[in-house]
Amino acid sequence: MPDPIFEARNISKRFGPVRALNEVSIAIGAGELHSIIGENGAGKSTLMNIFCGRLRPDTGALLIDRQPVHFSSPKQAAAAGIAIAPQEINLVPALSVAENIMLGAQIGARICGGAVIDWKATRAEAIRHLHEVDDQIDPASRVGDLSKAQQQLVQIARAAATDARILILDEPTATLTHRETARLFDYIRSFKARGHSIFYISHRLDEVKALSDRITVLRDGALAGTLDPATATREEMVTLMAGRPPSAMRQEPRRIPGDAPVVLKVTGLTRPGEFQDLSFSLRKGEILGVSGLIGSGRTEMAKCLFGLTRATAGEIEYFGQKTRFTSPLQAIQAGLIYLPEERKQEGIFPLLSIVENAAMPSMARFRGLLAMRNREMLAEVMDYIALLKTRIGSPRDAITTLSGGNQQKVIIARWLMRDAKVLIMDEPTRGIDVNAKFEIQAVLRRLTEERGLSIILISSEMEEVLDVADRILVMHEGRARGIVDAAGESQESLLKLAMT
Amino acid sequence: MGDKMNTSRASLFSLQRFWRWEASGILVALVALALLLSIATDNFMSSYNISAVARQAAFVGLVALGQTLVLMVGGIDLSVGAAAGLSAIVGSIALTQWGIHPWLIVPFTMGFGLLIGAINGAFVAGLRLNPFIVTLATWEIFAGLTLVITGGYPIRPLGEAFGVFGKGEIFGVPVPVVIFLVAGAILIWVLGQTRFGRNIFALGGNRDAAVLAGIRVRWVEFAAFALAGMFAALAGILYASRMDAGQPSVGEGWLMGAITAAILGGTSLRGGQGSIVGTILGALLLAVLANGTVLLNVSGFWQRVIVGAVVLVAVLVDLLRRRSN
Repeated sequence: MPDPIFEARNISKRFGPVRALNEVSIAIGAGELHSIIGENGAGKSTLMNIFCGRLRPDTGALLIDRQPVHFSSPKQAAAAGIAIAPQEINLVPALSVAENIMLGAQIGARICGGAVIDWKATRAEAIRHLHEVDDQIDPASRVGDLSKAQQQLVQIARAAATDARILILDEPTATLTHRETARLFDYIRSFKARGHSIFYISHRLDEVKALSDRITVLRDGALAGTLDPATATREEMVTLMAGRPPSAMRQEPRRIPGDAPVVLKVTGLTRPGEFQDLSFSLRKGEILGVSGLIGSGRTEMAKCLFGLTRATAGEIEYFGQKTRFTSPLQAIQAGLIYLPEERKQEGIFPLLSIVENAAMPSMARFRGLLAMRNREMLAEVMDYIALLKTRIGSPRDAITTLSGGNQQKVIIARWLMRDAKVLIMDEPTRGIDVNAKFEIQAVLRRLTEERGLSIILISSEMEEVLDVADRILVMHEGRARGIVDAAGESQESLLKLAMT
Repeated sequence: MGDKMNTSRASLFSLQRFWRWEASGILVALVALALLLSIATDNFMSSYNISAVARQAAFVGLVALGQTLVLMVGGIDLSVGAAAGLSAIVGSIALTQWGIHPWLIVPFTMGFGLLIGAINGAFVAGLRLNPFIVTLATWEIFAGLTLVITGGYPIRPLGEAFGVFGKGEIFGVPVPVVIFLVAGAILIWVLGQTRFGRNIFALGGNRDAAVLAGIRVRWVEFAAFALAGMFAALAGILYASRMDAGQPSVGEGWLMGAITAAILGGTSLRGGQGSIVGTILGALLLAVLANGTVLLNVSGFWQRVIVGAVVLVAVLVDLLRRRSN
């Protein structure tokens, strides 16, 4: 191993009762690409946020060239040569690409001590950094007008523009096309060739294996192991990440009988700019997985089915009836429910209790003469809480006392109480730890079998779709690339279907 | 695909770019209204009337310039009217009782405004309190202090030497209008060409991104509020000079005018977007509307109804503009 230029020793970090990182030690050498892999919630982002000065560790030390350093702001980390291109887009949409790249680092003209910006030099510098990463983006266009993938690339150029010698790339390829990915990898190689180092975070294990000099696996905030990319197999990586072999967490493949009634039939559904000519059907008791990258139109399709947006063409048949929901209320009344991706922002009422969160849309049923029939409401909520094996303290506790997985179950209970017939779930297990994820997947299976629920499961994790779904709709750039039986497909075959 | 979009956008001539500009709607509205009034009335276009309208626009307009900065960082300053009043009183006292030279009174008052604006800034940026609540409180405090100091009576006379700032003219243009336009020009330059100006856009557009970029967001926010106080004070003292009296009522009604002018000019209440040119045009439009109702012999009571309707129309136009983009 080369001499480390950056080292983290025994880093621990708590958020309230949650131990996000526990005694994690990691080092990186000059010219090295060190991949950090782990499930959602394993602590990767927390660790990277500590490296780049956004968070401070509770205990532990950071060392650069063997000298201890303390970052109290991202600016200090940047000054020490560490820059991050975070996974979430963090740009100013109203400003131009060039200005975003040079934000806070504009080149000053010689007058007024650099307070006045030398636009010509600033733009030239921005373009130089942008072209290292991508040469298709117009530096003068507004960031808000770019695609998600292009914004991701601008963000990487932004990080590169700080002249960092350690770059943290958090899921850089999640939204990129093949061409953009290849181009990015070229940049990564040239960056390494200059003797600089990269911490690389990705869910794409084949990518990790191909690029890395070293792989570190995090699980539940602690080091789970270090792997040599030359010899490590995918199976080994997954086993280390999950804490048990992948085969132990699979749902049994099953086949929905061909005579099961079709509950939802979509033909030629189109909303320009979002999705084109989508056709599929959903049977009673079936789970239809929807696979595709962010920006493939999956969420847009779900919002349209739910009545949040209007399609310009196409037909929707719901239980044999031609339907076009014009508002979420209509869809909910008909039993078609959409569970949004941003659970925190769009799903829960953080100030209210578990009971209230579960019963919110069903309140009308518990109306008494003068007051709510609270006891009945509580009893019914508890039935569903038990059915879904939700672990709660008191049902009167605030919903925010629960873990992400249990919150998700409360939300599922909410819609079961409203007599849901079709659930559209958008990334239901994102940000939930491995075991809770497995439990939710099992619950979804059980609901389809015991209650005849039909589910459309939207997920970026191909593994999840392959495990849970009966059939898979593969989407790319707003179009359906095919519908396949989940049994007999692999991540590779799905990717191939999406990209070709 | 991205290339194609760019080339097609570039090949379209600049009408589209004009339409994308925040202040395009208000410019069209202002020109249309001025044309209408010059046809419908005999004296709208007279030089006397034009300079009266411009002077009226200058006072609220100066306050609106500061308000625009605050709105652009995603805040709001409800205290600007009261700050203008308090500053005008303090400036008047400094002139009549402390014997400060009339030529130094304007910078002195601006300094005082900067100071009381800094109080707002300290609470909002330093303690991260809600700007609406903080400035609601300081509004009351500033307005109350004005009454405490004056006992409700105006401070007068301020003297001939000082009257030049409110009543004087430079090449036929009223001094307040000159100051308003110069201040606007400076702000346009600051917002477009300096680090501080660009940081205002960054902070208002995406606070997290600004923090990550190493921008001292608290300082930028603080400065925006302090400057809002300074511009309010400038407007207040110029108005006192024009009236030859430090009246306790200076600044009443300026708050709504300032916010309205900024919004008419395309400044977003969510921050990150705005234009000084738009705010200047917005202040002019408000003054022309007020002037028009008088010239057309419409009852003064209708003026507020008309202003409210204009704001609603402006918001609708803005909605259409953003949808079409």
